Amino acid sequence: MIKKLLSLLLLVLTFASCTKKRDLNEKVLNLTVESKVKGLDPINTGDTYSSTEVARVYEGLLQYHYLKRPYELIPNLAKEMPKVSKDELTYTFKLKEGVLFHDNKCFKDGKGREMVAEDVVYSFKRLADPRNNAIGWWILDGKLEGLNEWREKQKRLEKTNYDEEVSGLKALDKYTVQFKLKEKSPQFLYALPMTYTMVVPREAVEHYGKEFLNNPVGTGPFMTDTYTQSNKIVYHKNPNYRKETYPSEGTPEDKAAGLLEDAGKTLPLVEKLVVVIQPESQPRWLSFEKGKLDYISIPKDNFETVVAPNKGVTEEYAKKGIVLQISPDLDVTYIAFNHEDPLFKDNVKLKQALSLAYDREKSNELFYNGNGILAQTPIPPGIAGYDKDYKNPYMQYNLEKAKKLLTEAGYPRGKGLPVIKYDTLAKTVSRQMGEFFKKQMAKIGVNVQVVTNTWPQLTEKVHKRQTQTYGMAWVGDYPDAENFLQLLYGPNSSPGPNGSNFNDPGFNKLFDKATKMQPSPLRAKLYEELAQKYSEKVPWILGVHRTSFVVKHGWLENYKFSTFNYGNVKYWDVDLKKKKKLLEKL
Amino acid sequence: MSSTWNYIFRRVLYLIPVLLGVCFLIFFLFNVVAGDPTGILLGKHATASQMAELREQLGLNKPLIAQYFDVVKSAFTFDFGRSWATKQQISQMIAQGAIPSLSVTLPGFFLATVVSILLATIVAYFRGKGIDLFIRILTIAMMSISSLVYIMVFQWLFAFELGWFEISGFEYSFPEVMPYITLPIIIWIVLSLGPDTRFYRTLILDEMYQDYVRTARAKGVSEKKILLKHVLRNAMIPIITYTVVQLPFLLLGSILLESFFSIPGLGNMVINALNASDFPVLKAITVLSAVAYIVFTLVQDILYTVVDPRVKLK
Repeated sequence: MIKKLLSLLLLVLTFASCTKKRDLNEKVLNLTVESKVKGLDPINTGDTYSSTEVARVYEGLLQYHYLKRPYELIPNLAKEMPKVSKDELTYTFKLKEGVLFHDNKCFKDGKGREMVAEDVVYSFKRLADPRNNAIGWWILDGKLEGLNEWREKQKRLEKTNYDEEVSGLKALDKYTVQFKLKEKSPQFLYALPMTYTMVVPREAVEHYGKEFLNNPVGTGPFMTDTYTQSNKIVYHKNPNYRKETYPSEGTPEDKAAGLLEDAGKTLPLVEKLVVVIQPESQPRWLSFEKGKLDYISIPKDNFETVVAPNKGVTEEYAKKGIVLQISPDLDVTYIAFNHEDPLFKDNVKLKQALSLAYDREKSNELFYNGNGILAQTPIPPGIAGYDKDYKNPYMQYNLEKAKKLLTEAGYPRGKGLPVIKYDTLAKTVSRQMGEFFKKQMAKIGVNVQVVTNTWPQLTEKVHKRQTQTYGMAWVGDYPDAENFLQLLYGPNSSPGPNGSNFNDPGFNKLFDKATKMQPSPLRAKLYEELAQKYSEKVPWILGVHRTSFVVKHGWLENYKFSTFNYGNVKYWDVDLKKKKKLLEKL
Repeated sequence: MSSTWNYIFRRVLYLIPVLLGVCFLIFFLFNVVAGDPTGILLGKHATASQMAELREQLGLNKPLIAQYFDVVKSAFTFDFGRSWATKQQISQMIAQGAIPSLSVTLPGFFLATVVSILLATIVAYFRGKGIDLFIRILTIAMMSISSLVYIMVFQWLFAFELGWFEISGFEYSFPEVMPYITLPIIIWIVLSLGPDTRFYRTLILDEMYQDYVRTARAKGVSEKKILLKHVLRNAMIPIITYTVVQLPFLLLGSILLESFFSIPGLGNMVINALNASDFPVLKAITVLSAVAYIVFTLVQDILYTVVDPRVKLK
């Protein structure tokens, strides 16, 4: 009996220790995501993780140029950039011919059919369908002529009628789509590379019904069979992917980094993608060090081991062929004042005093390893409206000036000022940030109470205008200053994205004017004016624009960081010979 | 036997009031304590009108009594519908999550229980001697270390440095799954050994000072026989009480182990649902846990009659 048990134990341990052998004969990208992916339906991808996965399978009319910065829109499913009417209200797109959907049983004979203009129209209507209540509806809400009316009408019908025409959304012929806007909105084009508007075939949606989110059928470079909510997603190269080639234009830095060596090569460059879900940073980091992941954002705890003080990769990691990429993110962190609260509604000096008492450099060191760019306005570097020479006089640490302004605001040394509530998340770093804010404010006699919340609680408080101050970050949806400035636009007040409920008629008027203009130096000037003039009224205490630190193995080729990393995986390659050599060094 | 069946039937009937109570509790917590879920569900661009539409779609505008009946209906039919946050079928989510969770917790729990009882028996046999002292100190030391430390150190040492196991991941087939789950199972056992061994030692020692043990000794029965034949058997009632009530919670997995080892179990599902105000998922997990708890306490009662013929179910 004991012998049998021991044999069984030995057998189990043998299986247990049989770690997977790597297949170094096939070009496979090994990637990771930090959170479970909800599903692969384009209209409901509200988070970065799901969006990234959706964009491996689906495509939109436009995409961002892979290498160029500032970000530039180029055609994807569209054959060329749209023709825009003189009144700037009508956008006409010609589609690429011969683009095929993935082979799938929802089609006749299982063969993917050609993607046509009607598919684009259907996909947009699906996003607007009230029965779908899609997360991405905001991108079209109030934009296209007749679409909101169509949506309202569908609510009254028993079943959505996709065949009913919408005047602002038409397929003119098999390969031509026309959009008519209600009013000028150059930002409309930014909706077209977003996952929400990616093109889906009607047959697949109808065939799979509610299970469509687990049965993706797109035109993208990769395809997957049924998606399950597991810890891994495996994609294979789409054998019928249209002829698309690696870009041949880029910056001199791109050329020096070898990012133009594959110019003209047919995409995608690898056969397979394996995406694993790893919520914790330790296993992500260990997997990267073992060579089981091709690249990774450096976890905070590993930062100093891999990044040298000169912002290069440390010698130990350089020997292993590991390469560091530092790139600015399109985002901003801030502490918002709720302007519905009587304390902050009209007391600009109080807000300015609190802002001057907040040591942002120290905060940057403590929470971002000193790598954030101190924000002077909400607009991050890399987009029109950002002025690198501008210094916001109220975003500089100056305790004396802060105390003076606090006195002028009616609260000398904080006397008479009630305890200010600071709402944040019940996460370690968020709590630490709250304690840091409290400590800073105490220096001028202001008492702060840190209130921790779950994410749903904080969201609800902001939506119901129940906060006084709260910590937040905004990651850009698209590279236009409008996406950041709209956070201070009055009509967007809670429950809209303007959680600080800042509502200045002057700002609103200028915002309305600037955001309807086509990109131009004049518009950039207006954006600058909006950002600078009103940031000095301190609707927020600005934090930083964060910086992304990514390390990659030497065998991963053509990787370039992008805030809009949707679909970029088609450009990446794996050098198998290099991989074999470098793996020995790990 | 018929009285046993009567007892089982009655206990199954108890499920009805218990489920009604559970439904009321989760309905109250969700509607009174928790807030409006639509803001979180619609993301950072939620608008007032879209939130109102979603409230209507989710049935949150219905009278409270009607909403309560919806909860009761889903609890009694086990049809929990779809997740509000992911739009996935909840029964499928649970089925897909239960296997990975149980593949770690069940063997971990079983092995930890066997080893702990074994160790507790040994230390009880050698009570007051060096080995007893050593194991007691060791178990206290093991309990003093945070579970996070075990997880992080074991993962780094055995999976990364020594390469004996996979760092993280999961496979749905055997034996492919073994390199992924063995280390989490070992950690589960290590985490359980300290408290379990101490608990079982106390139970066994309690029995060892009973009158029947003294009588057996007086009759000249060997110490080994007393321990294995009499003491262990009598200690089984509290052991069963302790172990069986833990079984339903094994289904929920271990949140930390699942996170660190990327095991797609139910532990993370509950956390994600809490963060997303995903009421249908929370409802499903709570109802299933309640049902499992009742079923396992019933199993516990039946097991009492097996290990102790004096116990009758009436």
